[in-house]
Amino acid sequence: MSDKPQPQPLAAPASGQAGRAATTGTPHPGVPPAAWRPGQPLRLETEHYIVRSMQHQDVCEDYLAWTKDEEIMSGVNSAPSNMSIEDLHKYIGRFNNKTSFHFGVFLKETGRLIGFYSCYWEQRHNLASTNVVIGDKAYWGKGAVLETRDAIIDFLFDRLKVGKIWGNPMARNVPSVFNYKAQGFRCEAVLKSHRISPTGERIDQFMFGLFPEEWAAHKAKRAAARAARRQGA
Amino acid sequence: MADRAKALLATALEIDEAAVPSDASIATLEAWDSLAHLRLVQALEKELGRELPAEHIFAIATLADVVAVLEGRPIG
Repeated sequence: MSDKPQPQPLAAPASGQAGRAATTGTPHPGVPPAAWRPGQPLRLETEHYIVRSMQHQDVCEDYLAWTKDEEIMSGVNSAPSNMSIEDLHKYIGRFNNKTSFHFGVFLKETGRLIGFYSCYWEQRHNLASTNVVIGDKAYWGKGAVLETRDAIIDFLFDRLKVGKIWGNPMARNVPSVFNYKAQGFRCEAVLKSHRISPTGERIDQFMFGLFPEEWAAHKAKRAAARAARRQGA
Repeated sequence: MADRAKALLATALEIDEAAVPSDASIATLEAWDSLAHLRLVQALEKELGRELPAEHIFAIATLADVVAVLEGRPIG
């Protein structure tokens, strides 16, 4: 069995149009980490969000609009795309839920999609990455990445036994840099003038790394800090 | 410079200066989130009249770090 991403069968969007994410009362598809097997859609739950493998019925106009938004795409150092709904279906089909995962971030309360992750597990080096876009700007600065990536990191380290997670945001993507730092990633390098921005400038790029033992230590330290804050409050 | 740093941090975090203790840090101030950090970097760059190096964007984590950046000293 190849570890390369295998295309999933494409499903036609419901009623011939872009569907909505699962709404209130509709169970979210996917398997919780404890019962999950490679190839199955995964479902993670946090306090405010459901993070689960994107399904074709999740493709929606909001998702398409995010790919065309200059401000959102600049966060991943890309120019606005001219993707179509059909292109999004093809994109989703590239993820195999074994070594590549395309997770939607859904509001637990309403089921609305607010963003997505593309995560990759390079098995040869047992190395994983988590690339996130929060498309709904109302959720910028609200801790959505910290809360949801916590669950993904736990899955990668605890369930997949990944040996290291890395991230490489552009230096001027300050919110992303902040989030990596806040989750205990170490700065391993700053690659100077390493990439070309959509506007043609050469820009710096970070290389962040996180090992399982560092994640465990970070979580323990964070829990202690929260307890201290509660006691002080 | 400490007063200026506290004012910049309070504005970036959109909280009252009185709510910024002298040992303020990312770990102790819940308002210090990703967008607040962006506002802080932008405010420091405006104050200094230049872009901060990437290393500073990552390293700034306390009020003392903000003071160090304003005074042109190493962080940490």
